[in-house]
Amino acid sequence: MKNSLFIFLFGIFSTVTAVAQQTVVKGSVTESISLNPIPNVIITIEGTEITTKTDANGLFEFTTGLPLGEQILNVSKEDYVAKRYPIVINEGQTVNITDMNIVRDTNIDLFTINLTDDELDDDSGGLDNISGLLQSSQDVFQRTAAFEWSSSFFRVRGLDSENGSVLINGIEMNKVFDGRPQWSDWGGLNDMLRNQELTTGLQPSAYNFGGVLGTTNMNVRASQYREGGRVTYSSSNRSYTNRIMASYASGLLEGGWSYAVMGGRRWGSEGFQDGTLYDANSFFVAIEKQINEKHSLNFTSMYTPNRRGKSSPNTQEVYDLKDIKYNEYWGWLDGEKKNSRIKQIEEPIFMLNHYWDINSKTTLNTNVGYQYGKIGNSRLDFGGGANPSPAYYQNLPSYFLADTDGPDYAGAYIAEQNFMNDGQIDWERILDANVTNNSVGESGAYVLYEDRTDDRQFSANTIFNTEINENIVFNAAVNYKNLKSKNFGEIIDLLGSTGYLNVDTFDGFQFDNQNPDRIVGEGDKYRYNYNIYADIISGYAQAQFKYSKIDFYLSASLTSTSYQREGLWENSAFLGNLSLGKGEKLNFTGVGGKGGFTYKITGKHLIDVNAGYITKAPTIRNSYSNSRDNNSVVDNITEEKITSFDASYIFRSPIVKAKITGFYTKIEDANEISFYYADGITNIGEEFNDTSAFVQETLQGVDKRHIGAELGIEAQVTPTIKLKGVAAVGQFTYDNNPNLYLTSTSFGRSPTYKSNLKDYKVAGGPQQAYSVGFEYRDPDYWWFGATVNYLASTYVDVSPFLRTENFYLANDGLPINNYDPEVATELLKQEQFDNYFTVNLTGGKSWRIGDYYIGVFASVNNLLDEVYRTGGFEQARNANYTELLADNQTPKRQFGSKYWYGRGATYFVNVNFRF
Amino acid sequence: MKTNKFLTLVLTIVASLAIVSCVQDDDYTIPTSLGDEENARLNTLLANGTEVSIAEAKAMYTEGDFIEPIDENIYIKGYVSSSDRSGNFFKEFYLQDSPSSPTTAIKVIINQVDTYNQFNFGREVYVSLKDLFIGEERVGNGVTAIGGGTETDQYGTTVTSLGQTRARTHVFRSSVTEEIVPLSVTVSQINSSLVGVFVQLNDVEFADNVLGKRYFDPMEDFDTKRAVQSCGGVNYTSINLETSGFSTFKNELLPEGNGTLKAVVNKTFDGASVVLALNSIDDVNLEGERCSLAVAIFSEDFEMVTNNTNLDLPGWTNFAEAGNWVWREKTFDNNGYTEFSTFNSGSPVNIAWLVSPGIDMDAQDDEKLNFSAAQHHLESPANTLEVFISTDFDGTDVLGATWEAVSASLPTQDNSWYEMVDSGLIDISGYTGTLYVAFKVTGSGTDTSLDGAYQIDNFNIFATE
Repeated sequence: MKNSLFIFLFGIFSTVTAVAQQTVVKGSVTESISLNPIPNVIITIEGTEITTKTDANGLFEFTTGLPLGEQILNVSKEDYVAKRYPIVINEGQTVNITDMNIVRDTNIDLFTINLTDDELDDDSGGLDNISGLLQSSQDVFQRTAAFEWSSSFFRVRGLDSENGSVLINGIEMNKVFDGRPQWSDWGGLNDMLRNQELTTGLQPSAYNFGGVLGTTNMNVRASQYREGGRVTYSSSNRSYTNRIMASYASGLLEGGWSYAVMGGRRWGSEGFQDGTLYDANSFFVAIEKQINEKHSLNFTSMYTPNRRGKSSPNTQEVYDLKDIKYNEYWGWLDGEKKNSRIKQIEEPIFMLNHYWDINSKTTLNTNVGYQYGKIGNSRLDFGGGANPSPAYYQNLPSYFLADTDGPDYAGAYIAEQNFMNDGQIDWERILDANVTNNSVGESGAYVLYEDRTDDRQFSANTIFNTEINENIVFNAAVNYKNLKSKNFGEIIDLLGSTGYLNVDTFDGFQFDNQNPDRIVGEGDKYRYNYNIYADIISGYAQAQFKYSKIDFYLSASLTSTSYQREGLWENSAFLGNLSLGKGEKLNFTGVGGKGGFTYKITGKHLIDVNAGYITKAPTIRNSYSNSRDNNSVVDNITEEKITSFDASYIFRSPIVKAKITGFYTKIEDANEISFYYADGITNIGEEFNDTSAFVQETLQGVDKRHIGAELGIEAQVTPTIKLKGVAAVGQFTYDNNPNLYLTSTSFGRSPTYKSNLKDYKVAGGPQQAYSVGFEYRDPDYWWFGATVNYLASTYVDVSPFLRTENFYLANDGLPINNYDPEVATELLKQEQFDNYFTVNLTGGKSWRIGDYYIGVFASVNNLLDEVYRTGGFEQARNANYTELLADNQTPKRQFGSKYWYGRGATYFVNVNFRF
Repeated sequence: MKTNKFLTLVLTIVASLAIVSCVQDDDYTIPTSLGDEENARLNTLLANGTEVSIAEAKAMYTEGDFIEPIDENIYIKGYVSSSDRSGNFFKEFYLQDSPSSPTTAIKVIINQVDTYNQFNFGREVYVSLKDLFIGEERVGNGVTAIGGGTETDQYGTTVTSLGQTRARTHVFRSSVTEEIVPLSVTVSQINSSLVGVFVQLNDVEFADNVLGKRYFDPMEDFDTKRAVQSCGGVNYTSINLETSGFSTFKNELLPEGNGTLKAVVNKTFDGASVVLALNSIDDVNLEGERCSLAVAIFSEDFEMVTNNTNLDLPGWTNFAEAGNWVWREKTFDNNGYTEFSTFNSGSPVNIAWLVSPGIDMDAQDDEKLNFSAAQHHLESPANTLEVFISTDFDGTDVLGATWEAVSASLPTQDNSWYEMVDSGLIDISGYTGTLYVAFKVTGSGTDTSLDGAYQIDNFNIFATE
């Protein structure tokens, strides 16, 4: 599959006879080790619509519509390594290729490793990894993006994963909250998620309209699994330390039944980053009953409870004092590393699928799905104590060096020594504080609580497919989604205290004004409590036309989305309906239209062009300016608009496959909500004479432009060696100066500013990436591959608030006295991270012992242990010129950007046993 | 068959997983060892160090001196008297020398916020002074503090905060938390010697001009002062309550009643004045009726006198028990008063009485006597001024009445000539009927060491109605 292995015709017995008038291509396919015939192998003459499958004896034959001359015969089957055979078809002659053999793809596991397991579901970084969308691709560009560049957080076309649609059995799994697929909900079920269908970009999917990054459908029907079992053990130092998985599928049993089950566990007390525990279990069961030839009913359930310790972004000062593994979230307690920030996800999925083959040309697939559970992110709250963060700015040398009386070197030295020698959370002090408070009848100074999202989502859809004739396929679907999302804080552990006060100690507001000054205990709700309701109805219709010279498609969709927030607590900063009860109901209508064609100049040269225009509802996350505290909706909220266009040239020869693509995507009217503590807010209004506050920032009406080009080329230079070269060059920029306003319990709402973001780079992974590599595949079932990657043009995420007029205006509305535009330009220049190389190695071997197969696979990422930044963001703490300049003039910046670093050299080893 | 093999495998795996795969759990039970280290350090200190009193420790600092680290293995013991629970103290706490009837207190400056959750109010705390510094945070602010370092600038040497790491090896808690009995004081008794002591004021209230306001004035940057007053007399005595803009109760309205207030004696940032600082708004209990100042029910300011004539104001009795001279009416610099001088009287002994008009003691409560007195040319304690009270004086027979001496603050040789000394408020509320106040001067016209003069002015009887 993944490696189309080109085999020369040497050793293959092929005969060309001239007995008949008819032009015939026929042959047989066997398994390369057992030499048993394989049925249902897909045989295609590349560049044509001519395709067939082998029969029970592994035989196939083409007799009609055969193109003449040099052609490529493609032999593929799921779980097998596809092969391509060059043949010459002459008029009136028969090409007979017997005993073409294909090999089980024993290294399928290879690449699912750093996908579903790794950073994919790690939102602690705030970085979004799209590689899961691409893992099933056969395209060398996309595979490289997924497997070689994922640890650099490369994003195809600079787009978020919310632009890709992930389906399981036809039901869309992207979260309504942020539009992103929650990979953890099916993590560790690798064996069961192998049947994937991917359409990339705007290309038409038979399941839904999709986003501009395409659609992946994972087929988890019980009947679709090959009979047999597999046990896998893996060891790694990336996120988990150990993984054990076992799966079994029955194949089709008597009476039309089939089933598949899987269980797995991934665990580790620490990944690459310090204190990042990993604790995940995975369960899967699917049962299908083939009722008759036309109807089949499938039930699938997956449950993958998991807990992970998060790691912190840090300033450069912190990395310099520690190292790139440093994580400020943990501390020692009773001889154990305790991470205060655990992300816990438990969201079982249940689905019932009905497959109806109305006739040989038409199918109707109807699905209902139900998912419920919780996502929790824990953190320490310190309403009655000092900030427990060991890297809190007042604990670092820079704080002492920035002393207004001049650098305090002694203080800085002590802070430095403390931080280097300890620099972790002091759990004992926290517990002692609570015990001390107990002794005098005070409520707790510290508490461990969890930000919870408990979703209950019901989905139903029906997907219709029909072949109107041999040239036209028609697809349509109707979908319904209903979500009730309960959002609240919950006390996990009182940490030795007797209770905790449900009041905002920062500015004294009651979180629950109906129950003021309430003391809450473990399991009680805390801080905020609200529901979000969402209803989404959508439909699409699509026609695909396939002709010998040209394929084209047209697709249209319509989506109606509504959201409503219901406050269960009245926040005393937002009295009455401002925070309590149901807020305004938001309604959005999204339309989408797209079309494209593939023009086949010859079988070797193809042109592919796609264009689309999509409007869609903003996600829930980007619809409410401060959903925890109140019902406020983002000003001027409207649908996001996405215009996308791409054009590719594709070259396919027996040795070389290449594709070059140019793309343009424009996103308009997007919103971005963020939260932080700001210093130097000067233009808020007369009432507010302070300059610092915890704020929510709403960026509204953002336009972004993503243009660039992609190149992927692979060459099978010898039967065993394949060379690969991939390049992505993009420029992803803000394309306007969007509106920005702040809200805060301290001052209400700021004026609406313009944030001068136009032409700043959109952060999120490298905008340029290059990869060259090779794969060697030995006939003795071992293989080896290496790539060298060069990642460039990675930018820091700029703070939009720093680019507003608040930056240079004093509170009288006039420019700050000493404002120097040249200095300001320097201060506001977007930081570009260093470019870097990574070298990745993979290798493996498989053995067959009787009926069993044993496979070993190993990979090393970042072999040279290159230290590189994958991302970072400016702290908006110094929000005006004076403060930012002062911070920049200190010996060490106190509020410099926070960064994420890539992992150093890491390994992954996998052993699997199949029967 | 395959299934059976598979199941066996899975079971084996599940069993082995259960054994080997534990990761961090959710258990945050308090370790039994919590506090052991601190206890051990405290015990070592108690075993090897020498205790000094807080007063002795404070005496180790002399304002203006360079501050050296303490090189002896000595320690103090104290009880936490302040609390930053409400944000009114910042990176500091006071230790007073006793949980009840304290005599002094010392400040500990520490680079730590929310110290209350470690050094809670009333906690018995030991500070190992070796290698620490005792001095002021601001030269001349009059607040002696223990710190972890020093800084010297053009104004002198000051102590700086004790870092948290060093605090761990120098500041220890015992397991004892005592109940702090506030030291009961009057407003006028509060002075800088009590800085850091937790005190209680009775019968106080916020001043009239701040009523309706909040503890903190948002127009101020750091601290707001609100006057607290006590009525006890004709004038209010008052002291400022200072509240930080970081306190949690800063936006609370000031209570308008009268009652008790418990607070820590503190100083303003610059040390210029003594103020009170609240640990908690719970220490403010001003619910009662506001007090009223006393009013004068009888007043004689001697402004109507004729200079250098014998005093003959209506109702006053001017009587010479020995010699001939009596009290005289005098004016000086447009101020009238009465004076008795024996200078050149010619009499070997002069005894002169001046008796006030009768005061009805049954028409009001809380009567208090107040007057001013001065002397000039006083050279001997035998040249006396005495004050008496009688309720059986008949208006004429001075010597026939029963006179009871009254204690008052009177001028002595130590006072400057002509310096008017306030008598203080003399409680006479215990008398009933008609009350007379008498001033009796004893001197000599021939003995020059006994020929000084006494002056009386601003004679008042105050009462609340």
